[in-house]
Amino acid sequence: MSEELEKISDDLTITKRQEAVAVDNRSRNQALLSYWALPSIFLTVALLGGLRVGADDRAFIFFPPPLITLVLAVLLILLFVRGGLIELQLWIAASEPPLRNVSHIWVLLTLFFASAQAFNSVLPERGLLHWLFSFFFLWTLWNNQFSSFDARRLLRSLVVLFGTAFVLKHLLLPSLYGSSGGWLQRLAGVLAQGVSLGTLDAPMFAPATGYISFFALGLYIAGLLVMSFNEQIANSKQ
Amino acid sequence: MRPKVIQILGLVVTAVYALAIVWLYATEPRSFREVATGAQVAAGTYQVDQKKFDAALELFRREQFRAARDQWQSADPAQGDPTTQFYIAYSFYREGWGRVYYDQDLFKRGLEAVNRAIALAPEPLNVPDENLQLHTAAELKTELEQGTERTWGDVNPLKVMRQRK
Repeated sequence: MSEELEKISDDLTITKRQEAVAVDNRSRNQALLSYWALPSIFLTVALLGGLRVGADDRAFIFFPPPLITLVLAVLLILLFVRGGLIELQLWIAASEPPLRNVSHIWVLLTLFFASAQAFNSVLPERGLLHWLFSFFFLWTLWNNQFSSFDARRLLRSLVVLFGTAFVLKHLLLPSLYGSSGGWLQRLAGVLAQGVSLGTLDAPMFAPATGYISFFALGLYIAGLLVMSFNEQIANSKQ
Repeated sequence: MRPKVIQILGLVVTAVYALAIVWLYATEPRSFREVATGAQVAAGTYQVDQKKFDAALELFRREQFRAARDQWQSADPAQGDPTTQFYIAYSFYREGWGRVYYDQDLFKRGLEAVNRAIALAPEPLNVPDENLQLHTAAELKTELEQGTERTWGDVNPLKVMRQRK
């Protein structure tokens, strides 16, 4: 009888130890995700979002975020808070340790710059198209401020928004203004320029710019997905 | 590793990464090679390619000014060495100097180079080269500035008697 009790007690101890190790690993992995992976992902987006490759000499061109992208990023962050992707009262609170608050503010800051650079990567650099794209982004984000959202819907909506802008900027516009196309394509480009009195002019970059932008946007969406899962885990703990 | 240590290390490493990104956008390197050179300058390990510098000096003494400048520019791609910039400015001066008139474009580029040399030098720059008549960056700058100024003295026919320094 006593032997059986001892065995049960040993089993319980082992199970408790395994649980403790699992909890320890979980908190370590979550810390790695929150304080290493997320800021690194968002900073990489901030780096690549403004990077272009010159069409002639294949030189790097670093394009800092225009002012409008900062405004768009603010609206997007507000949308993240409204959609529940960022639980602001859980992220930054007087009851939390200072280091945790600082880390969360840092993640928010990196997310802000990544958002600005994600917009920068799909906005035409100058001319009427720059303002048209900016206006449509502004309109969409402003409208979304007043509609009901959850994190999943918001992410889906963002994928569509950035995806459309990417296709327009990196696929449609270069094919319209590219010098390598056929006569019909060139004619369409010249007509578009003529009708708009040259205001639709857009700078041409090497094809690598499109790949960089695609990677940056993919990384940005991946970062948001990771953040959403992380938030769900944190909420389930609460 | 404890989560708090992970948190602190994460903050430090990502802050360094963010600074590197800001530096990239501020310096705007045009290739990976320029990134590497810029990093060497920032780390304080940047050095001029001495072989190319000597080859350029040889060309300069043979009055092959353009070729010399090309060599000096590849010896100092980051434009971070005051002596090299001084010599580049001197090559602009010598090439732009004429008995009747000075080449304004070359003199202006020389002025830019000598200003870079002055800004880079921690103390007044002095180049003890026996083949030069102007040994300090300040003298060279004055000479280049005088060359870019338009005065009534320019129409003086005796001007043709002057000597290149």
